[in-house]
Amino acid sequence: MSQATAGHPAAGRTGGGPGRSARLGDRAHWSRYTQQAGLIACVLVLAAVFAARNSTFLSSGNLIELLRSATLYFIVACASTLVLVGGGLDFSIGSVYALGAVVAGLLMTHSTPWPLAVLGGLAVGGVIGLANAAISVYLAVPPLIATLGTFFVAGGLAVVITSGNDVYGFPSAFISIGAGELGGIPYLIFYAVIIGVIFHIALERTVFGYNTRATGGNRGAAAANGIRVARLDIALYVTSGAVAALAGILGAARLSTASSSAGGASLTFQVVTAVIIGGTSLFGGTGTIAGSALGAILFAEINNGLQVINVNPLYQNIFIGVILVAAVAIDQYRRKRRYRT
Amino acid sequence: MTEAVTRAADLELRGITKRFGRVTALSGVDLTAYAGQVLAILGDNGAGKTTLIKIISGVYQQDDGEIRVAGHRVAFRSPADSRQAGVATVFQDLALVEVLDVATNMFLGQFPRRGWFVDRKAMDTQSRAFLDELKVTVASVKTDIGMLSGGQRQIVAIARAMRTGAGIVLLDEPTAALGVRETAHATNLIRELRDRGATVICVSHDMNFVFDVADRVQVMRLGRVAGVRDVTTTTKNEVIGLITGSVSDSPAEELP
Repeated sequence: MSQATAGHPAAGRTGGGPGRSARLGDRAHWSRYTQQAGLIACVLVLAAVFAARNSTFLSSGNLIELLRSATLYFIVACASTLVLVGGGLDFSIGSVYALGAVVAGLLMTHSTPWPLAVLGGLAVGGVIGLANAAISVYLAVPPLIATLGTFFVAGGLAVVITSGNDVYGFPSAFISIGAGELGGIPYLIFYAVIIGVIFHIALERTVFGYNTRATGGNRGAAAANGIRVARLDIALYVTSGAVAALAGILGAARLSTASSSAGGASLTFQVVTAVIIGGTSLFGGTGTIAGSALGAILFAEINNGLQVINVNPLYQNIFIGVILVAAVAIDQYRRKRRYRT
Repeated sequence: MTEAVTRAADLELRGITKRFGRVTALSGVDLTAYAGQVLAILGDNGAGKTTLIKIISGVYQQDDGEIRVAGHRVAFRSPADSRQAGVATVFQDLALVEVLDVATNMFLGQFPRRGWFVDRKAMDTQSRAFLDELKVTVASVKTDIGMLSGGQRQIVAIARAMRTGAGIVLLDEPTAALGVRETAHATNLIRELRDRGATVICVSHDMNFVFDVADRVQVMRLGRVAGVRDVTTTTKNEVIGLITGSVSDSPAEELP
């Protein structure tokens, strides 16, 4: 074994020749954060532009409102981040958001105690997730199609069981979980922070998170190394369904109304877009909850800022479209530079 | 902590048959591999080498025949079953995750745990210590696999198989993508593995490599075993003859 000296770790870090690979190692740590840095810059520049046009943009009241409007998207985005990192895709979330809310709402208005009604709504979300996993794993239908199918089914169910009517008349204890505030800060923001931290830790530190990244990065390799990829898919989609239903239920509590037309395609697209803008790869393996939080905040900021400076908020979609394409193009460029093929 | 625990596990295949639709990829294949030896499997394209490897690693299930590990009959319904029985496989595509780092890849599917959490520190130090022990040059175990060269990736894949302490190690074309220096390193790793008492089975096209590292060669031809030889008592010409079919072990079949 002639490489004894070159292989010594100290030589690898300080020596002249092996220094090249040492630098490669350093870049590995940094590049995880560069996309986030770009996003943070984007959020700050926009904030400066909006604040220059109207100083109320930076008032604490407006900033709290901005964050509050991002919370429900972000909560759904946490689970979607995991699904995408795991190499999947869940388009059904928009309809599950509505279905979970109307199921919980109907149970409540039919004299079920509200905590049980909430569990019922979460369970329906979990069942749709289970169906997504079963269809994509066992029937080998691509997740895009599987979850698009359940998107229509869940959306249709929400309309059918409510006859298209809004559901309201909830107990005040339930309403307060969505509409309450603590020290002027809506509960929803606390929920989003707690859920975000839980998902961040799950993705970055747990065996489940490592298995998710491995499976999304190279499904064949993960399976060949003994990771149970089908079981992982089930866990990811069930989580995604239950979390989408949870967000829908919280939204219904905030508005005191559950509507079959809540969420829908626009929620699905905004969540997936926010996650991808946040640096999560559509091809699996990489992504962070922090990035998705920034993506959701950027969304809310553009929407809120355009209103504050009296620009027609319908321009939002044009901004978002440009940012989405730019974010993915930059990501692809970085990937090409970073990895040898 | 890092020394591989090797078990004396002989591997035996008897009458393995595998069909894909109407194509019979393997018919009645026997194989015996001994602990502390390297068995090389040679053969032309389509001879059934990779199919055989995939059956031993649990990727495919045989239609007929049996597998014995250390004398015990086993059934591999999945790669997990095969691993459980102490078989580690270095696939031709290496089965590494490019977007994850070296340490994570070294422990893929077997992360050191602390409850629900991955013990990252233990994973990093054990990977580092293990790679140092094998004199593998990787600057940081936190380097993503995607940043490594083909040779470095191959060596990480072999090191991973050694790390698991598996008694039986399968390597599918371990030197196919390697340069001269890297081939020498891979050869050293395989010898190290053998000297630790592992049963090593190695599919290769590289005749020099095979005669360099193997103790015995088994030649496959058209889904059957064309012959098994000790490298000390055979020649490259004889082995090439077995591969092409100009030398045959079973004259009875050819003289009806």
